[in-house]
Amino acid sequence: MDHAKDAAFLDLTSAADTPVSAPPVRELADQRKVFADQVDLLFRHSPMGVLITIVVGGIATYELWGEHNNDLVSLWCVMMLFIGAARHMLYRAYYRRRDTNYGNWLRWFAIGAFASGAVWGFAGTVFFPAHTDAQQVFLAFLLAGIVAGGIPIYSAVWWVYALYGVAIIVPFTYILATYGGRQFIELAVLVPLFLAVNISIAMRLSRVFADGFRLRHAYAHLGQDHSMLNAQLQEQIEELLQAQREVEASGRKLALFAERAPIAVFEVDRNGTILEMNPSAENTFGYSSTEMIGRSMIRMLIPSDEPVLSSDWWKNFVANAHPEAGLKVRCRRRDAVELICEFSLTPLVNDVGELISVITQCQDITQQLEAERLKKEFTSTLSHELRTPLTSIIGSLQLINTGMLGDLDKEVSELTNIAERNGQRLLDLINDLLDIDKIESGKLTTYPEPLSLDELVRESLILNRAFADRFGVRMALRGEPVPITVNADKKRLIQVMTNLMSNASKFSPEGGLVEVGLDLADNNMARVSVMDRGSGIPPEFRSRIFGRFAQADSAATRQKGGTGLGLAICKRLIELMGGRIGFADRDGGGTTFFFELPLMDQPAATST
Amino acid sequence: MPATPLNRICYVEDDEDIQRIVRMSLERVGKMTVRVVGDPADAIDAIKEFKPDLVMLDWMMPGMDGPTLFRKMREMPEVRHLPVVFITAKASSAEMDELRAMGAAGAISKPFSPKDLPDQLRGIWSALP
Repeated sequence: MDHAKDAAFLDLTSAADTPVSAPPVRELADQRKVFADQVDLLFRHSPMGVLITIVVGGIATYELWGEHNNDLVSLWCVMMLFIGAARHMLYRAYYRRRDTNYGNWLRWFAIGAFASGAVWGFAGTVFFPAHTDAQQVFLAFLLAGIVAGGIPIYSAVWWVYALYGVAIIVPFTYILATYGGRQFIELAVLVPLFLAVNISIAMRLSRVFADGFRLRHAYAHLGQDHSMLNAQLQEQIEELLQAQREVEASGRKLALFAERAPIAVFEVDRNGTILEMNPSAENTFGYSSTEMIGRSMIRMLIPSDEPVLSSDWWKNFVANAHPEAGLKVRCRRRDAVELICEFSLTPLVNDVGELISVITQCQDITQQLEAERLKKEFTSTLSHELRTPLTSIIGSLQLINTGMLGDLDKEVSELTNIAERNGQRLLDLINDLLDIDKIESGKLTTYPEPLSLDELVRESLILNRAFADRFGVRMALRGEPVPITVNADKKRLIQVMTNLMSNASKFSPEGGLVEVGLDLADNNMARVSVMDRGSGIPPEFRSRIFGRFAQADSAATRQKGGTGLGLAICKRLIELMGGRIGFADRDGGGTTFFFELPLMDQPAATST
Repeated sequence: MPATPLNRICYVEDDEDIQRIVRMSLERVGKMTVRVVGDPADAIDAIKEFKPDLVMLDWMMPGMDGPTLFRKMREMPEVRHLPVVFITAKASSAEMDELRAMGAAGAISKPFSPKDLPDQLRGIWSALP
């Protein structure tokens, strides 16, 4: 919600809090509009004033017409008609122009009213002394009537009336005062009093009018506020409806998610009573929702001897209201078959921390666990049952090939060597597969110990000499390795060395030299390099060389052996020992494979 | 390092093929005297009778596995001093550590090389106190 609406709400509340009484409401009115209304009222009464003036003026002209002063009477009549016409033109202009400069209009109107009054004052002043008693009485009544009659016409703005009245009465009073005779003097006192009373009436009327206008505008203002608030309210209702529609839509979406989810979903209250459940929950446990809703999830599904999701466990869970996930729990299906289910519990908590309900998701993982068990069993079988006969096969062939059991015919010896080599290859494959399995299940571990890396490099050279001989490749240390101690798993490191060195042997040209180097690298690392003079690594193969079953050329595989798993295993092993592995083109042809391991800072610190 | 060279080996193993290979390896390559026992139940009696310098036990055997037999030997005064080497296909380092913690003299992982087996055993023998 934006600030404007906030403000609107504040206005509403403050208006409601304030006791409604006239003055505050009246003050809401716009003073300029009230003024405009006053001016407008003056103009509205203007034709009536002009008409009365002309009618009364006509009668007066007729009455005053006599033996003398007829010139003056004519002049007066013309003046009256002229001013009447001028005022009427002002009136017409006002309605035609409709501009809002009300101050200006009022000024002109006031001038008109004053002129009109002055014409009557002129009549009183000029005609009173010169006429008969009867005519004097007529004039006196005429003027009194005209003064009083001006009240409804001019009192919208009291001072306009005052100007009008003064213009009539002041010259007339002067004449009365100077006419001579006590009665006239008394009249000269009474007439201004009469004017004063009239002006005070006009003032009061003027105030009544103004109040009326103010009230009208105040209520119009209130009405405007009201309709604005109404519009805002309408808008907010619309927004709320929209939000409601969105919530309903997302609710439907959520319901659909739950409805179609492949995992069982229950909504349970704080006591563990089932409020809602989805079809998967029905399928998983074999109960229909009507059988389960309203009953305790724990009592229905969980055997009483199960420690997780027992009643006590649940009480604890509700008290803490922390989400739980990955709970493996034994469950009882409707047909009494036991399942292993993985539960996730998500407490729904309101603003004040009260638990509303618990969303319970659970998945039958019985088959998954069984599959895992089978896989483990298979791996174990692979490990033991395959390796045991291979031990016999390779062992027998090795014994024969040592020549300890007597010399063999050359061709037989060739065949037994082939058999031994391929037996070994099969064994390597099994070992690699087991390692890859361990890598994938995250169970590959290393057992690091302080290790002399230079000794290990020498040992690897001896161990792999026979393999190099087979490919007619020489292996040699490059330079004299410096003594370096690392924290590493010896067996696994020899596995890595064997892999790199046998790869180098396989891919070297016959009679080639494989060099093994040990140096200090940057960042307190020791670097072991195995350098060949082979044909290098094809560009398209570089990115996946450390992937599984990675071999550049399948024809070469058949010819030279290898599982294509070796480097993937090496990479993982080296990483487990805190190092890194890589390769680079070698100047003058060939490839250098290397790995780096962190140096051991204080070899003496370890107890072994 | 024991004063005498390693000569008499008693090997408990149920797999007859491996029995034969180990026997040939130790006798022909290693020039040692070997007694092979096929049934672990007979092992202790055979050991008492043969009086070997060193006992080799297979890890997995029907009836009684190597570690169980090893524990039994530890309870018998006549045989408890004998160095024991396991031959196992369960070659993880953790299990090797477990064996050493039980007092085993060493472990050789299956598949072993019959060519190198006598030297491996002599290596373990010479490392004994």
